[in-house]
Amino acid sequence: MKSTPVRIVGPVYWVVTFGLLAAVTAMMVWWTPREETMGDVQKVFYIHLPAAINTFVACFVVFIASVMYLLQRRSWWDDLGFAAAKVAVLLASIVLLTGMIWGRSAWGAWWQWTPRLTFSLILWLLYVVYLMIRPSIESSQRRALICAVYGVIAFMDVPLVWLSTKLLPDIHPKSISMAPEMRLTLLAWFVPMTMLAAGLLVASMRINRLQRAASEPAEELDEPRLVPAGGQA
Amino acid sequence: MTRAIRHITMLTLKDLRIEARGRQTIGLVVVLAVLIVVVLALGLGSGGGAGGLTATAILWVAYLFGGVLIFEKTMAVERHDDALAGLLLAPIDRGSIYIAKLLANLVLMFALALVVTPVGIMFFQFDLSVAPGGFALVMAVSMIGYAAVGTLFAALTSSTRLAGGLLAMLVFPITLPVVLISTRVLANLFEHGTSLAGSGLALLIAFDLMFLAASWLVFDVVLEA
Repeated sequence: MKSTPVRIVGPVYWVVTFGLLAAVTAMMVWWTPREETMGDVQKVFYIHLPAAINTFVACFVVFIASVMYLLQRRSWWDDLGFAAAKVAVLLASIVLLTGMIWGRSAWGAWWQWTPRLTFSLILWLLYVVYLMIRPSIESSQRRALICAVYGVIAFMDVPLVWLSTKLLPDIHPKSISMAPEMRLTLLAWFVPMTMLAAGLLVASMRINRLQRAASEPAEELDEPRLVPAGGQA
Repeated sequence: MTRAIRHITMLTLKDLRIEARGRQTIGLVVVLAVLIVVVLALGLGSGGGAGGLTATAILWVAYLFGGVLIFEKTMAVERHDDALAGLLLAPIDRGSIYIAKLLANLVLMFALALVVTPVGIMFFQFDLSVAPGGFALVMAVSMIGYAAVGTLFAALTSSTRLAGGLLAMLVFPITLPVVLISTRVLANLFEHGTSLAGSGLALLIAFDLMFLAASWLVFDVVLEA
């Protein structure tokens, strides 16, 4: 089923990703200095920001896949959009959770209706809906079409959500001054986080393709290369 | 251009005429919306404890649910007896069909608001006299944005099994910024007397224009199936 390079590259990729993840976690815990006012809780920030940036990238992938589906009507794009939405929701959940942990320590409450928290929540909701509606639409073509239109409209909504949350009173830090070690840890976190996001996207995409191949007759698949028939995947 | 306008008027009037003769949607929607307002008024303590601007939030809940029902019903008319096939075969631009549906939906939404808004204002002792024009303007602009998105997704979901529920799921998260902006703008207007010219109203108009344009463009693809 899998071609030899995939069989080797896949596991190696994950070993490297998790190795790096362990390394940056160790770096965050033991090497990076404690922040004066926030203490150890400030360290969730190193996870928070890379996850947030990758969430936007995943949302953008959903948008691109949706536009491409509307233009070409190939199921491949629908599967990519679905995979990217899953990654986006996972990362957005990490952003929300780390944000809440930080907020609990800084403001004494798990939730405050500040612009950025509200923005993250709405963003999370937008893409959770993308995932939730899929199983309730029987026809696969209809599902792909609805999701593609939704993927485009939801992404167009993101800047408006951002601007609208600006109308709320803000207590979120605008910029944070960091020691050089802190900055290095933050930069280091971007690498495994991005690798994790990309790896999950590819893995999820493969699952989507295999599921489609299993549930739909081969002639409906527009990418015959990926049909598991002993060929290359 | 005049041809398109003629088509749009014709189609809008067709939908409104169907509604006027059957009165299937508006009665249902108004009662539902009034029910929502009553339930929330009772739930929040009818003693007026939750007065003032709570009214705008509660009215929004009523508008949102009423709107979903309106969008779904006006589109279901086309699915009946395959009327949609006839409409698609007619030499009419798909964009015109979208605008006509949107206008019919808006007329019904404004009719809904005309009945439900006084009810909400009365129950929550909301002093509208501070800026009645501003209130109407903000709500009207918000509803245009909501209807723009709703009309598009109603066309998409009308052929699915879950039609209404699915439509609500799709439209509510996308409309959240509209709800957020309009309630903030109204809060500023009524509590602090800030003028409407601020960024809030401009954002609402931006939302309207963006989603009108996007829906008008995508509607072509949406109607095929």
